[in-house]
Amino acid sequence: MLADLMASQIVRTVLVGAAMLGAISGMLGAFAVLRRQSLLGDALAHAALPGVCLGFLVAGARDLGSILAGAFLTGALAALAMMLITRTTRLKTDAALGIVLSVFFAVGVVLLTHVQATGGAASAGLASFLFGQAAAILASDLWIMGGIGLVALGLVLALWKEFKLVSFDADFARAQGFPVTVLEAMLTIMVALAIVVGLQLVGVVLMVALLIAPAAAARQWTNRLGMMVALSALIGAGSGAAGALISATTRGLATGPVVVLVATAAVLVSLALAPGRGLVWQALSARRARARISDGRILAAMQELAEAHDDPRYPAEQGMLGAALGKAPAPGQFDALERRGLIRAVTHAPEPTPHWQLTEAGQRAARSEEDDKT
Amino acid sequence: MRDDTLHEPGQALHVEDLTVSYGTAPALWDIDLDIPPGVMCAIVGPNGAGKSTLIKATLGLVRPVAGHVRFLGHEIGAMRGRIGYVPQRHSVDWDFPTTARDVVEMGLYRSLGWFRRPGRDARARAMDALAELGMQDYADRQISQLSGGQQQRVFLARALVQDAPILILDEPLAGGDASTEAIIIDLLKRLRDAGRTVIVVHHDLTTVQSYFDWMVMLNVRIIAQGPVRDVYTPENLRAAYGRQLAMIAVPEGGAV
Repeated sequence: MLADLMASQIVRTVLVGAAMLGAISGMLGAFAVLRRQSLLGDALAHAALPGVCLGFLVAGARDLGSILAGAFLTGALAALAMMLITRTTRLKTDAALGIVLSVFFAVGVVLLTHVQATGGAASAGLASFLFGQAAAILASDLWIMGGIGLVALGLVLALWKEFKLVSFDADFARAQGFPVTVLEAMLTIMVALAIVVGLQLVGVVLMVALLIAPAAAARQWTNRLGMMVALSALIGAGSGAAGALISATTRGLATGPVVVLVATAAVLVSLALAPGRGLVWQALSARRARARISDGRILAAMQELAEAHDDPRYPAEQGMLGAALGKAPAPGQFDALERRGLIRAVTHAPEPTPHWQLTEAGQRAARSEEDDKT
Repeated sequence: MRDDTLHEPGQALHVEDLTVSYGTAPALWDIDLDIPPGVMCAIVGPNGAGKSTLIKATLGLVRPVAGHVRFLGHEIGAMRGRIGYVPQRHSVDWDFPTTARDVVEMGLYRSLGWFRRPGRDARARAMDALAELGMQDYADRQISQLSGGQQQRVFLARALVQDAPILILDEPLAGGDASTEAIIIDLLKRLRDAGRTVIVVHHDLTTVQSYFDWMVMLNVRIIAQGPVRDVYTPENLRAAYGRQLAMIAVPEGGAV
């Protein structure tokens, strides 16, 4: 069946296109996420919509070159607006992002509806830029994507240590005399290019997921930047390819959203299972670290409390024993001691919490425990 | 040969008329400051006095509205790479995917030049710097797995590896443990004794006299500057700290 699928020119084009887009946005998204600029990517993507419409209006037809140029232009304008707002007003970055994103997107939707109402049949396809339309990709578009991907890869390799330093500690880089503003602008422009490349396939609304998801998943598996960027590109490419295949095998599944869902699944799996940082791994090691407190120490602590209160049957509160031992024993441990007849559960009104009392056997065991110690 | 472009080359750091303003109130006002070479200088002052701003302005990280700065007579642009800078520890994300040695190698990036990657030589120098601070066993640790004091030492190693004649540190002892403090101060004193100039933003007045030989007391304006024994006086402390002083040790008598 896979062979049948691959025989189709359209499926092949979509598959390669989605994989390349995933690789590019995965690689660049790693830097965006580490620089805490993932939401800037979202604003850029939404801000591309008015550019798409303007590109259409200027070209007078659905010409991909002018549409993508328009998208890049308004995206850059949005980034500039963001920078101006945060530098000249007291608004914080998140508020500035929210304003810029919604204003540009609103202008985009207004333009889109206007163009569609007046632009005739040619404008019908413009709405596909909202959520992407994979089938619209042409084999010739792959060359553009590949070219942009190669340029981005070349820049990342050539300026590797500079990008790393700027992402980790921009102030130090500036103090060292690196042109930090130029380097940061390069990273942002490359992210904008990746977004423009992805518009046809994934659309302005979901594009940001392809930037964030592969990077977030990759971060879970490694502590090296090089490994993280490579893994992120790989996860992006894999999500793109898998998403394209899934949507090709099932009728009525849009490629872009499926690609995003596959990438998100990779994030969920990574968050749960990655060694070291994964939730499952952390829960297991926390359990291992909760070293079992020996039964003897519990009995001795109860005996000590009983002696301090001059009452061999002193009802010790479970939480108090935890505090006395420095660490709470597992609840099952008390039940086990009770089954062995060493302690018994008692209530101590008005406190509703569990209390425990040494039995005769328990007192003997506790005394022998103390003898052992001395 | 005399270089006519040099201005006050006899001072490790020379600041004149420096004024920095964030919005309405000035953060630094008309700072005139001279720190001679070969001293270990503390910059002290109450919270909001502009200590970090002063450092960032001298390094060109904050744009002043007036004034000029010279290091050994040079403008900052000509001294890049010859000033070791240790930012506040909290200025970066320690969950960044990198190791302690990697961070130290960042101190060498500038001298490597564009496009070149750090190689065996950079690795060896980074290890030496880490060893100076007792961190050689942690070289391959991811930096989030280090304690606060260890992270601070990694930051200092990154400045140390540059072999710079001037070191500027922003609160290098904040949040560290006692042993880190002892290691850092011991190293800084050795660097000072070897002729380097060490400038430290310091928050703990009780240790100024034992750690430093020069000090600058700051509260938006310069309150006093000079050798610690001349500057660390009740009058100056009162002028710098005002009401906050009640909680701080005041030296007995006049000069100590």
